[in-house]
Amino acid sequence: MSCDESLRTQSYLDGELQGLAAADAERHLQTCAACQALAADAADVSDLLRKATRHRAPAVLRMRVQTQLDRETARRPARNFWFGAASGAGVSALAAGFALLLLLPPSVATLAQSVTDAHARALINGSTIMVASSNHHTVKPWLAAHAGISPPVTDFAAEGFTLTGGRADEVAGSRAAVMVYRHGNHQIDLFAWPDRGAPLPVAGMAHGFRSHFWKSGDLDFAAVSDVDAQAFEKFVDLARAQRE
Amino acid sequence: MDDRRRRFEAQALPHMDAAYSLARWLSRSPADADDIVQDAMLRAFRGFDGFQGGDAKAWLLTIVRNCWRSAGSATRRRGHTPIEDENLAAEGASPEEAAIEASARRRLDAMIAQLPEEFREVLILREMEDMSYREIAEITGTPIGTVMSRLARARALFRQTAKDCI
Repeated sequence: MSCDESLRTQSYLDGELQGLAAADAERHLQTCAACQALAADAADVSDLLRKATRHRAPAVLRMRVQTQLDRETARRPARNFWFGAASGAGVSALAAGFALLLLLPPSVATLAQSVTDAHARALINGSTIMVASSNHHTVKPWLAAHAGISPPVTDFAAEGFTLTGGRADEVAGSRAAVMVYRHGNHQIDLFAWPDRGAPLPVAGMAHGFRSHFWKSGDLDFAAVSDVDAQAFEKFVDLARAQRE
Repeated sequence: MDDRRRRFEAQALPHMDAAYSLARWLSRSPADADDIVQDAMLRAFRGFDGFQGGDAKAWLLTIVRNCWRSAGSATRRRGHTPIEDENLAAEGASPEEAAIEASARRRLDAMIAQLPEEFREVLILREMEDMSYREIAEITGTPIGTVMSRLARARALFRQTAKDCI
């Protein structure tokens, strides 16, 4: 079953026709069974394709492109990775914003920026792991010695998140311990730093990285990664549930 | 940062997800998509002075498609890595409902991947990237009439395949 007008009907359905042409096509559609079937099929196809995987540029690829652009512009890499990633118009506003924020105690925005930055920096420099061990008996004392913080360290390998090591880092001016996990090809950083009573951002998504914050005992925690939402939530649940 | 770089970042970088998605659907391989997008972003940056305004997304996707074409012959001979890649395989034990949803999505992805190239690209550009006929014609270097008939055939074929396997 087909109709000579089917391409015109398709153009109408795709929003390609305006004015009189659109009105003509609409009138035809109301009376033509073949074109109505076509419209129904086209709607099905759209629905199906909406359910297909939405591929997003991986964070690592974004970084590689930035590095490439840096090389191409033949200048030193931008002061801060996110200055490079930020869009042109926003840069000066961002810079002004950060300058202001630096004078204040760590705010929600600073913290969110800070952990995402630390995660990105570690990925770019390839310095994500300073003590490589999946043994929490090794990682925990190392972190205590090097970051001065002794958060709970648990391997969630059975749940799909393998502890691969730890490092000492910095979050908004505080020393932080980072537990590094691997999930498939993705890395998850779990930051811990002393709670100074600062309000925490809850959860967010910036530059392809998800982050989630919480307090537990006298420590603040943040998980940061580019894993998918489902795996990230699962990880956060596991991390929040762990005890000393 | 120089002005050219700033303008490029403001206009082209926001479309990197679209660029990656197109590269991924065309090449059907995460590794190839990475290479294609990297190549495309570099070419886009070098040719940015030639970009005379207009729709930056369509402009970037044109470059992505060209990069895929020029890198493509080797890739196509190699055949494609199945879409169910490390991401989906590595998620591990997930709740049952999510698993069912994921397997339906995998089937869909595989159906798209199996469409002939000329149908796959018009369908992706129209349905996922919301490109107009004129833009699709420019990106694929095909007359609008051909875009329209390919789109019709792509939809019919996809609809039929879906009926057969879902």
